[in-house]
Amino acid sequence: MKNIVKQRLLVNCGRLLVLVVILGGTELGIRYGVLSRLFFSSPSEIFVAFEAQWAKGSFLPDLGITVFETLLGLAAGSLAGMAVGLLLPQLRLVSHVIEPFLMVLNGIPVIVIAPLFILWLGLGLASKVGISIYIVFFAMFIPVYTSSLRLDRTLVDALRVMGATRAQIFWKVVVPSSMPSVYTGLKIGSGLALIGAVIGEFVASRAGLGHMILYASGTLDTPSLYLGIIAIAIFAALLSLTVDALGPLLVPYRFSDEK
Amino acid sequence: MLEFRNISFSFTGRRDTIEVLRELSFGCRENEIVAVIGPSGCGKSTLLSLATGLRKPTAGQVLIDGRPVDGADPRLGMLFQQSTLLPWRSVVENVELGLEIRGERKGPRRQRAIALMRQYGLAGFERKYPHALSGGMQKRAALLQTLAIEPKVLLLDEPFAALDAQTRVVIQNDVVKICRAGKRSMVIVTHDISEALSMADRVVVLSRRPATVKEIYDVPFSREAESVADAPAMPGFADYYKRIWNALDISIGGMNAAA
Repeated sequence: MKNIVKQRLLVNCGRLLVLVVILGGTELGIRYGVLSRLFFSSPSEIFVAFEAQWAKGSFLPDLGITVFETLLGLAAGSLAGMAVGLLLPQLRLVSHVIEPFLMVLNGIPVIVIAPLFILWLGLGLASKVGISIYIVFFAMFIPVYTSSLRLDRTLVDALRVMGATRAQIFWKVVVPSSMPSVYTGLKIGSGLALIGAVIGEFVASRAGLGHMILYASGTLDTPSLYLGIIAIAIFAALLSLTVDALGPLLVPYRFSDEK
Repeated sequence: MLEFRNISFSFTGRRDTIEVLRELSFGCRENEIVAVIGPSGCGKSTLLSLATGLRKPTAGQVLIDGRPVDGADPRLGMLFQQSTLLPWRSVVENVELGLEIRGERKGPRRQRAIALMRQYGLAGFERKYPHALSGGMQKRAALLQTLAIEPKVLLLDEPFAALDAQTRVVIQNDVVKICRAGKRSMVIVTHDISEALSMADRVVVLSRRPATVKEIYDVPFSREAESVADAPAMPGFADYYKRIWNALDISIGGMNAAA
């Protein structure tokens, strides 16, 4: 017990040290001219950039827009991927017909298809949400679809012997047994949702963190560029923590530690 | 009670038709345990799936109380070789699954499941997930899942194959007692001659594919022995063992082995 506590303390101290070295290093490196101001920014410069963006009144809206696009893309894309992944195996013929089309669509890199979404949905939020939905859909659809194809036949047979209807089998076996895959889909999808939103903003946009980063890069405003990257990194980390926390809700039996 | 009348069954494969069962007839009376034994791959399990309505015979009929089986029959329960416990449900939710499928209200069905679990030594495990139980307890929970709907006919498809030798005897003994106490009919498919002799009142030996009834033996051990564990020590057991072994016609070391 004591050893574990000790070790945990050591690990946390180590992490703190790494952070201090990075922040202190860049701060001192910039101040004494060891690091180029064009390529690197010190924490204090980034903070100044943050104050400037804040004063302009653009930081919060930029952050809010990207967060909104990401969350909406994640939610809608996941729901759609889940629904299609669960229903398609129930319709054997339809699934045989459209499976190759889905696989080809999935193979197209998102950056290639992004301009099309801009064309369809315009420069605003809708195109970014659309791109995000598009990649999240596949991140969710593929694991859910594969798992519903590999359903445990014994469980289905057992329920049929008990007189279960198709609907009962769907809700009592098919849906719950896909939950581990839904969780996997959410984990992959949460990262992709953000990528989709930012790629959309990179291709064409008037606002959002991606827009801010692209603008900063174009104007050689290195501190704002770092500010954008850090903001996205913090949001991505929080999103991933939130999705991890959903695990015990979606698949409680995998997280119950009694063996 | 349960009767297989002139059953034939063939699979139609891609190239040819495989005849699995040929004009097979035998019955299982009320309060009787019949073991069906046969060489590997002879279609023993197929036979049970015909009784459960999961498959339909090519010719002939399966009758319960003189009425032909058509789809899932509420008078019939089946214990499978693999686990049929849904891993995302607690043990008590698994035990009540059959009642739930029949649309019984939550209060009464929960009470019934809890009572069954108390009666058969699973008290205290109601809220656990199946994976927290030992193999023997999982099998017992699956048995209660089957018993909860109070079937008059119990079908067992090599249910104890995965259990260790000692646990197997304990569960075999439980099953025999439960079956006798409820005056149920039971058909157990097995490849284990000892299991057949110690549990059953009659042993039906099937031939190789296409399977027909080769021999039927009336055996006294199950009723006369104190428990399943005592049966092999009774006089005559070894003799029957040898006769059934010979009837199975499995050559050891020969080139014409059934495998």
